[in-house]
Amino acid sequence: MTSTALSVSGLTKRYGARTAVDDLDIELPTGVVAGFVGPNGAGKTTTMAMLLGLVRPTAGSGTVLGASIAEPDAYLSRVGALIESPAFYPALSGAENLAYFATVAGHDPAPIPALLSTVGLEGRGGDRYRSYSLGMKQRLGIAAALLGDPELLILDEPANGLDPQGVREMRALIGQLAGSGRTVLVSSHDLSELEQVCDWLVLIDAGRSLYQGPTRALLDDVTGGLAVQPQRNEDHPVLRDLLQARGHQVDTQEHRLVISVDGADVGDLAASVNQAAFDAGMVLVELSPLRTTLEDRYLSMVNGGSR
Amino acid sequence: MTSIIRAELHRLLRRRTVVITAAAAFAFSAVATLTVFSSAEATGQASRRAGATLASLTGNGGGTEAFAVGASFVGFFVFVTFIALIAGEFSGGTFRAVLLRDPHRLRVIVGKLAGILLVAAGVVALAEVFTFAMSLLVAPTQDVATSSWFSLQSLGDGLRDYATVMSGVAGWAVFGTTLAVIFRSAPLALGVGFAWAGPFENIVVDSWDAGYRFFPGQVLASLIRGGTIELGAGRAVMTAAVYTAVAATVALVLVSRRDVTA
Repeated sequence: MTSTALSVSGLTKRYGARTAVDDLDIELPTGVVAGFVGPNGAGKTTTMAMLLGLVRPTAGSGTVLGASIAEPDAYLSRVGALIESPAFYPALSGAENLAYFATVAGHDPAPIPALLSTVGLEGRGGDRYRSYSLGMKQRLGIAAALLGDPELLILDEPANGLDPQGVREMRALIGQLAGSGRTVLVSSHDLSELEQVCDWLVLIDAGRSLYQGPTRALLDDVTGGLAVQPQRNEDHPVLRDLLQARGHQVDTQEHRLVISVDGADVGDLAASVNQAAFDAGMVLVELSPLRTTLEDRYLSMVNGGSR
Repeated sequence: MTSIIRAELHRLLRRRTVVITAAAAFAFSAVATLTVFSSAEATGQASRRAGATLASLTGNGGGTEAFAVGASFVGFFVFVTFIALIAGEFSGGTFRAVLLRDPHRLRVIVGKLAGILLVAAGVVALAEVFTFAMSLLVAPTQDVATSSWFSLQSLGDGLRDYATVMSGVAGWAVFGTTLAVIFRSAPLALGVGFAWAGPFENIVVDSWDAGYRFFPGQVLASLIRGGTIELGAGRAVMTAAVYTAVAATVALVLVSRRDVTA
C-alpha cells in the first residue's frame, strides 16, 4: 500500500475562458479523512470528477492509489465514489440498484444486505428507489460507493439537502467509515460539518489551493484569544484594568474579557492571568482559549489571500 | 462488456417489465393479424407497405406475413424508445454512475445498447411467434389455407422476416442512441427526433421522391419493410448500413471525448 492515497500536481481544467480548477496541487496521505472545502463553484466537484475519470484535465498530472489519473481503469475498482447527486434507476429497488452496479463492476453482491444495514436502510432495500426520501437516496449513494470494499472513498457533498438530523447521521456515518481505516475525501461547503469529522483538510477557492494539511494544525495555528470571566460582575473593570496594566490587549465580549494572545504561549498566558486574579482576590469562573473555528480560519484565508 | 450486458438484462428482465412487454407483443400480434387478414385482397401485388393478398397469406411464409407487415410500422416506436432509454441514462446520471465502476466509455454505451437490443430481439421473436399462432387461429375464418406454413421454406421465410425486422430495429436503435448522446436530454432528443423522422421527412418526400432514397428515416422504413417501390431491399440495406455506421461513429466519438458532467 502506498503512503499517499492521492496526489495531483498542476491540475487545471478550463471551460473556454473560465478556469474551474487552476494549477491545483493536492497530496493526501493514506488513511486520513480529508475534508475538501470550498464555497460553491470553487472547483471541488470538477476536481473530483477529474480524479474519477469523468472529466479530462486541461493540464496537470496525478496519481490515485499509485496509478495515473490518465488511466482511471487502473484504480477505479478500488475507489468508491458519490459525485454530484445519487443516480439510480427509479423503477428498481435500492437492493436491485446495488446489484446492478455490483454486476457492472464485477463485485460480489453478497454484502448488499450488510451495506444497506451499514447506511441505515435495512428493511427498506426492497422499496423502489423513486419512493426514497432525499436522505435515503444519499444513504444508498454511500452504500453504492462502498460496494467492493474500496480503499479510497470520494464523496461529493454527501449531506447536501439533508435536514439537520440527516446531516448529523451522515456525519456519524462518515466517522464510522473513517474508523475502518480507509482513506476518505469528502467535499462540503458546510465547514462545521467537516471540522468535526475530518483529520485532514484541503481548502480551495476559485480553483486554487489555500491550505492542505492536518485539521489540528490549521485550527491550533491561531487562537481567537483567551477568555476570562470573574465570578463577580463588579470585578470586570478591575480585572480589565489590571490586565491592561500588565500590557495585555483586552476586549470586553458580553460577560467576559478576551485577551489577545499575540503569539504568546496560551498556557503560560493563562497561568499568568490566573495568578494575577488570585493575587487581586478574584475568583475566575472561566479561563479558556478561544479556538478559531474552521469557518473563521477559512474566511480569513479567503479574505486575506493567505496561501 | 459482458458485465454491462448482464447488468442491463438483469435490470430490464424483471417480472413486471416482462409481463408488460409480453402483453404489448401479444397486443401487437392481435392487431397486426386481424388487420392484415381482414384487409387482405383477393388479388394484387403484396407488399409490406400495401399489405398482404390472400395468395401471399396462403403461400410459403404466409404464417409470418402479418408479423412482417405489422412490424414495418413499428420503426418510429423503436426510435423513440431508444431515445428515451439512452437519453434518460444521461439526464438521470446513471451513465455517470456506471462510469464510476467501469471507465471504458465505449464499452459502457455499446454494452447498454447491446443489452437493450437483446431484449428487443426477444420481444420481436415473441411477437413473431404470437403472430404466427394468431394467424393459425384467424386463417380458417378467411378461408386461408395453412398447410404450406409448416414447410422448411416457410421456416426460412420466417427467419428472413425476423432478420429483416431486427436489422431495421437495430438501425432505428443506433439512430435513437445517437440523438440521445448528442442531446443528453430525453425531451430535447425526443423533440428533435420526432420532428425530423415524423413531420419533416414525410412532408418533404410528398413533393420530393428522391427523399425516399436519402432520408435516414425513409431508408430505415424501407429496410424494415424488406424494400419498397422507391428503394429496393439491396440498396436499402447498403444505404442504411452506411448511415448507421456514420451515426454510430458520431455517437462513439462524442461519448469518448466529451466530459461527463451530468
